[in-house]
Amino acid sequence: MPRTNTSRTAKRSLAVIAALALVLAACVPGGESEESPDDGSDQDVSTELSSEEVTLEMSFIDGPDMVDQLVAAFTEENPHVTINAEFTTFADYVRQITLAMTSDTAPDIAQYNPGAMKELIVEDELLRLDPYSDAYGWTDSFPGVSLEQLMSDEEAQVYGEGNLYAVPGGLSLTGLFYNKSVAADLGISEMPQTIGELETQLETAREAGVTPIMVGALDSAGIHMWGAMLNVYMPADEYRDWVNGVDGGNIDTPDALEATEKFAEWAAAGYFNESANGIGQADATAQFAAGESLFLINGNWAAAQIDQEMGDDAGFIAFPRLDEGDPVMGNGFSVSYSISSRSETADAAAAFFDFLASETAAPIIAQNGFLPPNAEAAPDQGGVLDELTAEFRQVVADDGINSFPDFAAPEILDELVSGIQSMIAERMEPADFLASIQEIRDTYHEES
Amino acid sequence: MRAFRRSAIPTTKSPSTTTVAGRPGKSAARRTTAATGGGRSRWRSYIWVLPAFVFYITFVVFPALHTFWFSLFDWNGVSRATWVGLSNYAQILTDAELRGAIWHALILVVFFSWLPILVGLVMVGLLSRHQRRGMTFYRTLYFLPQVLPMVAVGITWRWMYGERGTFNQVLGWLGLDSITRAWLGDFDLALFAVGLIGSWALTGLCMMLFLTGVQKVDTNLYEAARLDGAGPIREFLSITLPELRGEIVVAMTVTTVAALASFDIVFVTTNGGPGGQTTVPGLLLYRLAFSDRRVGLAAAMGVTLAILILAAVYLIRRLVGDVDEQ
Repeated sequence: MPRTNTSRTAKRSLAVIAALALVLAACVPGGESEESPDDGSDQDVSTELSSEEVTLEMSFIDGPDMVDQLVAAFTEENPHVTINAEFTTFADYVRQITLAMTSDTAPDIAQYNPGAMKELIVEDELLRLDPYSDAYGWTDSFPGVSLEQLMSDEEAQVYGEGNLYAVPGGLSLTGLFYNKSVAADLGISEMPQTIGELETQLETAREAGVTPIMVGALDSAGIHMWGAMLNVYMPADEYRDWVNGVDGGNIDTPDALEATEKFAEWAAAGYFNESANGIGQADATAQFAAGESLFLINGNWAAAQIDQEMGDDAGFIAFPRLDEGDPVMGNGFSVSYSISSRSETADAAAAFFDFLASETAAPIIAQNGFLPPNAEAAPDQGGVLDELTAEFRQVVADDGINSFPDFAAPEILDELVSGIQSMIAERMEPADFLASIQEIRDTYHEES
Repeated sequence: MRAFRRSAIPTTKSPSTTTVAGRPGKSAARRTTAATGGGRSRWRSYIWVLPAFVFYITFVVFPALHTFWFSLFDWNGVSRATWVGLSNYAQILTDAELRGAIWHALILVVFFSWLPILVGLVMVGLLSRHQRRGMTFYRTLYFLPQVLPMVAVGITWRWMYGERGTFNQVLGWLGLDSITRAWLGDFDLALFAVGLIGSWALTGLCMMLFLTGVQKVDTNLYEAARLDGAGPIREFLSITLPELRGEIVVAMTVTTVAALASFDIVFVTTNGGPGGQTTVPGLLLYRLAFSDRRVGLAAAMGVTLAILILAAVYLIRRLVGDVDEQ
């Protein structure tokens, strides 16, 4: 009797499971794509705001203080506009933004993230901003390269050209911070202009027992260091074709190999801290600020902390060039914003975007640790922050902002971190490293 | 030795026997209804299980089946998926990186499971023989790592393993400056360094379990063993260890699952580095799903991991367990 009971129960549960499986089988993940909203390609745009009350919903990740202050300053100038800015953590944002933007309650403005928003571009959920760009003249008010970084073709395969999908609020830039008193002790009075001069100084530091460059390669600073090398040896248009996904873009080239070999050579020569693979960016910055190295590779986001801890002892230079005549380069991207194709208040949102390049917005953006799109209006803040602003103006003038290497394909970041760590530990050949990341990029573009 | 252990069982188990015997009416009645096959009342009894059952189906069984279903597709999480059958599983078995992660997880089992159990047993062997003052304090102290969030533990250890961290400072005091390094950046030692964090976190749990287990052992047993001339080691091997078998199975199961399913410690300390030396299945699953947007492959990885864990638990019960039969 009990035996029959169990087997009957077992049969029943099997039946239940089978039924569930059938229900599941009926649905293929992803489902039907709904009717695509208007992509805005033939819409009327206006730069004049009507006087009626407008409310904008905004969803964002970075710089809650900055966004609050920018919104406050904008709404003071435009009292009939209300912006409800909702802060979300990065992890939640990248997971939810696709769903949020395809829902009936999509926010009007959403912080742009090329990786997470790829499908939204394909599905025409992001408004093409070119009509606004023409109407407002954004190509003059924003740095050209930083707008290019926010352009994409309609399949979200090739960046850097096509339609404009976002507008930058705060910009970022990598380069070398240096310790002025360590430099003085080593007898270094002038900062290097070329890679050759830099190499001489690194050797001077190493001979004196000072760590030449502090690199926090446990997380992402190894990529910044390698990216800086690429900017020196690889022609900018070749690099941009590669990172933006242009057909035929290639990193497995003699120029890139020279850059990568130089990187490996420096690692082997002891020009990086011995602990490079074991410390992250934050720890590397702290150790540099404590006077443990001559240089630090990092970005503008570390400047406020360095300024606070080192004061006038700290300086910043864009990474040196191959020859003095070459353009001044750096890796950087921006905190940028898109408009939903579903938004009925796009004119007001675009007016807010235009405000980001204004003289009013620049000091707010600068005080929150970003570089303002309006480089000329960046305020004097003293110390290393001023050196950073000066170098930033030069990079903008030279069209020298390159996207970070991990933009080349969604899956490339982990391979970059791991490959660069392996090269630092002399466990991977530069040629193999380049071949492996080119393969990831090729596979990505073949599959999609 | 084994003989008096057997004879001791009725005495130790006796309290529970009385409780069952104390309410004979109820269980007997239930048995009668089942035997007479009173169908309606049996169905009525299912109503009590229903809320939990619905909850379990909705939040455990259904998502699990759903995950398996996803694993048969190539899907980016948004647009329409393509059916690929079992090829995601084939990829897991052939991809060196994915296989490497499974291998790393198996190495972590030594650190998360074997080491804590070994240390826990030794400590219990030392503490169990006599009643000592302040046991509650020590128990709390050793259990503390269990209460802390793993992310906080990971961040703290990341500092301790740093170039200027506690680890290297201690080595410096001992005059071992020559071997100091940034431990998490060392290709050969990073996985062991991560493993030791797990040992630290889980030793307390094992000790707690074993201490509680040892307290239910009849002290007469120890006394009898001592009269028979057994030393501390004999006592440990013949009384403490066999009596703790149930607890060892529990500890081994919990800690092995923790090792195979590890994610948070690795994520905050090395994120798989240096050069992929500390990748674990949980970490790759997260990357595949949320940064590479290969939901199908991630789901297949999850299913593989679940099967691996179930197999490990089954093995533990078979090899160490057989508690049920006793």
